[in-house]
Amino acid sequence: MPNDQYGIGASLLRKEDARHLHGRGQFVADIKLSDTMDVAFLRSPHAHARIRSVSVPPGARGRVFTAADLPRIKPIRITSQATGAKAPAWPPLATDKARYVGEAIAVCVAPSRGEAEDLANSVAVEFEVLDAVVDAPRDMRGSRHLIHEQWGDNLYIERVVEGGDIDAAARAAEVTVTRQFRMQRQSGAPLEGRAVLACRDHRLDEVVVYSSTQTPHTLRVALGEFLDMEARRIRVVAPDVGGGFGPKARLYPEEVILAALALELDYPVRWVEDRGEHLLSAAHTRDHHYKVTAYADRQGRILGVDAEIVVDAGAYGLWPQGPYQEAAMAARNLPGPYTIANYRARHYTVATNKAPLGPYRGVGRPGACFAIERIVDEVARAVGRDPVAVRAENMVRSEEMPFTTVGGMRLDNGDYRESVRLCAELLDLPAIRARQQLGEPDGRLIGIGFAAFAEQTAHGAAEFVARGASIIPGFESCTARILPDGSVVLMVGIQSHGQGLETTLSQITAHELGIDPARISVRHGDTESTAFGFGTFASRSMVMSGGAVARVSRLLRDKLCRIGAHLLQCDPAQVRCAEGAVLGPQGSVSIAEIARVAHLRMDGLPPGVDPLLDATATYEPAIGTGVFSYATHGAVVAVDPETGFIELLDFAVAEDCGTMVNPMIVEGQIRGGVVQGIGTALYEEIPYDETGQPLAGTLADYLMPGAAELPAIKIGHLHTPAAATEYGMKGMGEGGAVAPPAAIANAVRDALAALGAPVGAEVNETPITPRRVLAAIRQAQTAAMSV
Amino acid sequence: MSMIHVRINGSEVADDVPPRLSLADFLRERRNLTGTHLGCEHGVCGACTVLVDGEPARSCLMLAVACDDRSVETIEGFAGDPVVAALRRTFHERHALQCGYCTPAMLITARDLILRKRAGSEREIRDGLAGNICRCTGYTNIVTAIAEAAQEIGKEAPNAQ
Amino acid sequence: MKAPAVDYLRPRTLTEAVDLLAHASVEARVIAGGQSLVAMMNLRVASPGLLIDIARLPELHAVASYSDAVTLGACVTHAAIEDRRVADPSRGLMPRVASTLAYRAIRTRGTIGGSLALSDPAAEWPAVLAALDAEVVLYGSSGRRSLKCTEFTTGIFQTKLAQNEILESARVPKLSPDARYGYVKLCRKSGEFASALAVVVTDPRRGYSRVVSGAANGSPLVLADTSRLVAEGPRDPDALRGTISGDLDRASDRHFDDFQRNLHTVAAMRAVQQVLV
Ligand SMILES: Cc1cc2nc3c(=O)[nH]c(=O)nc-3n(C[C@H](O)[C@H](O)[C@H](O)COP(=O)(O)OP(=O)(O)OC[C@H]3O[C@@H](n4cnc5c(N)ncnc54)[C@H](O)[C@@H]3O)c2cc1C
Ligand code: FES
Ligand code: FES
Repeated sequence: MPNDQYGIGASLLRKEDARHLHGRGQFVADIKLSDTMDVAFLRSPHAHARIRSVSVPPGARGRVFTAADLPRIKPIRITSQATGAKAPAWPPLATDKARYVGEAIAVCVAPSRGEAEDLANSVAVEFEVLDAVVDAPRDMRGSRHLIHEQWGDNLYIERVVEGGDIDAAARAAEVTVTRQFRMQRQSGAPLEGRAVLACRDHRLDEVVVYSSTQTPHTLRVALGEFLDMEARRIRVVAPDVGGGFGPKARLYPEEVILAALALELDYPVRWVEDRGEHLLSAAHTRDHHYKVTAYADRQGRILGVDAEIVVDAGAYGLWPQGPYQEAAMAARNLPGPYTIANYRARHYTVATNKAPLGPYRGVGRPGACFAIERIVDEVARAVGRDPVAVRAENMVRSEEMPFTTVGGMRLDNGDYRESVRLCAELLDLPAIRARQQLGEPDGRLIGIGFAAFAEQTAHGAAEFVARGASIIPGFESCTARILPDGSVVLMVGIQSHGQGLETTLSQITAHELGIDPARISVRHGDTESTAFGFGTFASRSMVMSGGAVARVSRLLRDKLCRIGAHLLQCDPAQVRCAEGAVLGPQGSVSIAEIARVAHLRMDGLPPGVDPLLDATATYEPAIGTGVFSYATHGAVVAVDPETGFIELLDFAVAEDCGTMVNPMIVEGQIRGGVVQGIGTALYEEIPYDETGQPLAGTLADYLMPGAAELPAIKIGHLHTPAAATEYGMKGMGEGGAVAPPAAIANAVRDALAALGAPVGAEVNETPITPRRVLAAIRQAQTAAMSV
Repeated sequence: MSMIHVRINGSEVADDVPPRLSLADFLRERRNLTGTHLGCEHGVCGACTVLVDGEPARSCLMLAVACDDRSVETIEGFAGDPVVAALRRTFHERHALQCGYCTPAMLITARDLILRKRAGSEREIRDGLAGNICRCTGYTNIVTAIAEAAQEIGKEAPNAQ
Repeated sequence: MKAPAVDYLRPRTLTEAVDLLAHASVEARVIAGGQSLVAMMNLRVASPGLLIDIARLPELHAVASYSDAVTLGACVTHAAIEDRRVADPSRGLMPRVASTLAYRAIRTRGTIGGSLALSDPAAEWPAVLAALDAEVVLYGSSGRRSLKCTEFTTGIFQTKLAQNEILESARVPKLSPDARYGYVKLCRKSGEFASALAVVVTDPRRGYSRVVSGAANGSPLVLADTSRLVAEGPRDPDALRGTISGDLDRASDRHFDDFQRNLHTVAAMRAVQQVLV
């Protein structure tokens, strides 16, 4: 029986908070095991170099390890079912060649991290430096020194996504708009970096690996594979994780190496990544190049889009999914929520001498959204209409649902056009237009921009099979156990690192069993105590793990009802679970009492009912292609045309993620995502120079959004429950980060429209730095003069 | 190695430390006070903020030796501190934390803002948080939580405001 | 990263500190607030053999107010200036500057002397004290000497401080009651080092006016013609812009690109406009 005070739809306050508010959270670096030694890596200072020799000072033998000293480690191999995909093997410690600045070459062990670093500095490596590949579009077909020689080029994969007849659209077009877009490389930069603590447990004959990971179970699979060990001898624990956002959903060489060291040495070893290492060697993200042509009629109705997408994926592919999904996802999402009928996207995933690219909130979508939403605005400007109207008119209508886009995404339901209207209302569009007419006393230029997207969430087997994925994260699991006193433990295969799943998953069981969530514990992140699951990424945990919790709770509810009915001497059909008890026609029996019977007094059980209240269930959504959340984001900016500095004055999100289990948490996820998207839009960038040296090594160079630069983020909700999931939930964790770059770029475009008229200035590259803004203004003014 | 005497959360502590040891590592590794977090070790992220002689300071940029004869407060302290108590409540009620990594230092920074009367408006609070990065929340709820705690403290002890 | 191994001493007097500095057999560096030095050590771009902690030397906390100037001990913190806990010769300019410098938790420990001694090209104090026509007092084995701030900082992280010298104090002339100042810090994020700084001080009663650009790829750049123009109270923005451009162009050793040049021009224009209001 639903209980709305703490069940589905309640903004229940979080169970996770108390420990963190008292500094009692437990992150990997907080775990103390006696005799632990600290580890530092010797990393390549060169982007591309043959390793001639590594010389360890005599005194350091046994404390410095190269690949040769850890023979049990096998190269990390990714596989892809996609035709033509190349998959380089990646030795966790570089052997013959280093392929990016930051690649690990040796690992050093000492009583403290400082001493381990001293040791790393004492090792001499002789390199033969090769030319670095840093320009993906230029060098994808070849370069003087190939990154992976046996390939013959620098391409991981090239593919085409097509639908309709793009050439016909081109012929029919009254308006043609072409632009190039660029989303620069950046970092995921959770506040806690990566960290691994590994030790051997002789009693249990296993190696225990604590890692700051989003995916403990698949990490165990990987460790088994690359250390050639049986999974039963590996335990992975992800304790509190200080933010993940995608980069911690991949296997890293460091994890394999630390586990191998723990097997080699008789003491625990710990590696706590510092910020420099994170910016250098944790998964980078974005780094997309686009060339997009839109064909439209005079009204701004988009007939077709032709796109070329190049993703600069770095030197290796991260296990398990490799580098392929970024460009593929961008290509399939580029048509957005639009009824564009004709489409072609050629996409290329390119190897460069940079750190490997991995997933980050939104994955390929922020780039795709940037490209399509900027083009929609340019089409609107080309036909002389307001982008808001043109955007809405090109969008799928709710009556057309379900609607499969030309990119192949099956949008399930919702009112996308309404989200545009609502977002404009949240920002008071007419007031902004009026303000623009008046002009600002300080000479700044005001602009407003919007961007919409559809976010595929909780995709199941069908989607991953279509992607050619090597593993198919199509389900989640939950084991639920009611203990003899009636308290409940849920053991789930996902990992919660800020999403509040310890709270929301208990809300589901509370809803199904009618018990107080305070009586429920959620255990996650430990392969020892939880059934296999894939972890937390891809906006999947609430739908998938929540679905598994719902199912398993119902299994237990049925059993509680059978036992309860027996104790109440009535028919199971006459009872229900509520208020912490099984209620019958004449009286009730508490869940605690039923639990006592099920464990301690089996003589009270009905015939044919086994003792224990313990069940495991898996869940996959009724539809494998995902359920789609969607949103329109809107930004109001003030651009200083003299300096190029941008102030974000207002930001709003109008979104629909179906049924919200906990609206407070949903809004927290949206706001957090939006601010990460603002980081992409305005601040975050890891540039590389032509020799492959990354130029952002500290947080003084790598700027992240701070409170002082931001407005409060406004949110408006639409509610269209999904048909294919439990309770109508849709995933929503990533969406916040998808649209801000596009919305802000459109706002900047709006602000600069009058500069360098008739065309106006536009910035088509993120982050939109003052330097880029001024360059765009100059360019537009020069162009205007030459007209 | 240098012998130091530090008052940590009200208790006298003596320890022999290598001069290169930062205050953060001293607290975390030697005193097991792991609520003080490290996010950059070069002063930008603010996750390591503690109080030194009552004022907020970056524990990553202080050497433990230099704290000899000083007092240090970490998030594990503040028992009975009404401002931190109010902040803990409003952070909880306003969902002002997600992963929790920035949280201890946010509380310490927010307490300082309130006590220095720099939490009177959203603008002031946002400026005061410039040196504390939160990667999860987007700050909106943190700002609200601090504003509420500031109001509450202001009402209780108008002179402290 | 963690700081490299180092020795540490905490002398009781300034003389003792200078002795240690002069006689150290390894690379010795004084540490004041440590807000730059420890960061540099953590990044392993600095690895001194010996740290001489001067943060608590009473001599370096001394603040004295004279009829025409205030001397601020080197170890006065940014926060003490921000909070006006020390005498302010600048009628509010220095507290305002202090409040825009880094973050509070850094200002509570970082010192004005450390800032001047380091002379980070993007730092505020070297530019602001140059604009205020301040002097630094250096104390070394061979005694005391004073230098104008405009001479003290010679380049990027370069000063006239000798190896055995400690910056003892800054002597800042007092502004007259009708003096005016302008201050502009352009940076993308609050608390960040500046992309461009401009400081304008004009004190007609003393016949003084000066415009300084900071974060200028070198030591603080005195805009000489602009300084003279400011004294006249220019009303024509184009003339002002032209004069600023001229001053910046003359500093060809700074190798400004177009973007930087423009930013410095705008910063200087705006700072001057604050004075004229
Ligand atoms: C994240 C961050 C942001 C910052 N932002 C800014 C900013 O926006 N603007 C800005 O100006 N600064 C900024 N700073 C630097 C800060 O202001 C430092 O406090 C200051 O630069 C150095 O002062 P300190 O007392 O900490 O010096 P220390 O770090 O102790 O020393 C710095 C150098 O000066 C020498 N030194 C120190 N005192 C003396 C002395 N009395 N005599 C001789 N030599 C001495 C030391 O040997 C060392 O070489 C920032 C720092 C950080 C970490
Ligand atoms: S760890 Fe000290 S400021 Fe980031
Ligand atoms: S809650 Fe994760 S960094 Fe703030």
